[in-house]
Amino acid sequence: MIEVNSIGKRCPQPIIDVARAIGNIPMGESLVLLADDPATLPDLTAWSRMTGNGIKILSETNFLVTRQNQSGQVPH
Amino acid sequence: MVQVTRNFQSEAPLHVHAREVLLDAIDQGWSDPGKLSQSAARARILQGEALESISSHLKVPVDCLEVIGEGNLANHYAISGLLKNEFGFIHSAIDRKDVHAIARTQSHTTQLNVDLNGHIISTDQATEREIVLALQGGNIETGVIQPLADIARRFPHASIALDFTSCGPRLPLPELWASASFDATSWQGPSGIAFFAVGKQARWTNPLPHVDNTRAPRSYSLPLLLASSVALDAWIQEEISESSRLRLLSARVRKTIADSVSDCDIAGDLDSSMSHKTSISFLYVHGEELLRCLETKGFSVDSGSACTSANLQPSHVLAAMGVLTHGNIRITLHHGVSSEDVEALTQAIIESVAELRSQ
Repeated sequence: MIEVNSIGKRCPQPIIDVARAIGNIPMGESLVLLADDPATLPDLTAWSRMTGNGIKILSETNFLVTRQNQSGQVPH
Repeated sequence: MVQVTRNFQSEAPLHVHAREVLLDAIDQGWSDPGKLSQSAARARILQGEALESISSHLKVPVDCLEVIGEGNLANHYAISGLLKNEFGFIHSAIDRKDVHAIARTQSHTTQLNVDLNGHIISTDQATEREIVLALQGGNIETGVIQPLADIARRFPHASIALDFTSCGPRLPLPELWASASFDATSWQGPSGIAFFAVGKQARWTNPLPHVDNTRAPRSYSLPLLLASSVALDAWIQEEISESSRLRLLSARVRKTIADSVSDCDIAGDLDSSMSHKTSISFLYVHGEELLRCLETKGFSVDSGSACTSANLQPSHVLAAMGVLTHGNIRITLHHGVSSEDVEALTQAIIESVAELRSQ
């Protein structure tokens, strides 16, 4: 499983990292995001609602992100 | 280089009428109203007139009203005067941080969560304890208005402490309240002057060490009180027409941005928000960079993003609502703002987000 390491990065970089990475995995597949910025949990939750992708909280800094949406804008 | 910065921050310059009065009041209202001299008598008359006028506009009996120099402190007095440690304390997740701080000192606290629109989620509270309920009228960050009467009905035995520091007289006081706090800046009055009210039936005791039976220190600035009273008079008159005009402008800002910018997250529904507040977050955009970009185009706005806060924490209000916290801006429309300036701000936001996303 792909691991996206955003430890030490400030918001919105962890969300940008996960948005870029999820475009590279097939529908229904998951990746793990590692991030310790305090905005990651609320922003990942909002990102999931806005983009239609799934998330599961594994720990405070560990998130399972599942691609459930075919399209979506990928940030530069 | 942009010469003029157009202000859409929550703070506004003192109302022009209040400014004139303030300068005059510094000459007229310097004496201690509690003394016997001629100047003190004049100060006492000015003080009494100002308090009568303010209490009439806020719909609070004048003998229930106290003046204090700080909005957050007014809120603290309003809440803490009702609380005892054995009481249950209930507040919402989007209350001011000061309310959360009070909650941390209490042994029996319940935090009410909110939905995506910022409204308190219904909850049944079966308890034998006496309850103090902190209830916010309008939220300073998002403008979200709570359905106060509905919530009050859910807690029929609670003593309700209303936080009206942000909404001021924009909202009517609900029928039942034990205490309430107000801030003059909410009606374009001066900063450094605030009010709290204690209902006649409320079991309220001064929460700070005190030497007599006064409910609050009397050390506030009389000139600021007089300026605050004049500002309220003028603001209430303007609000009659400005409220609906600002609502139309806010609706246009929301629609234009939602139609023009992908992946934006607008906090709360305008129908249940104060008409002059809009909070919008843009996915994949850095809040501080957006603020700087708008500033270079001549517009000042606020932000709830973590990168713009002193402690680098995201807005607890946006997080509790489930709204995106990064790339956030808060727009406040003050009385007298022109539709051309609002349109120019809207276009500047659209351009700035596109610029930052393309970098």
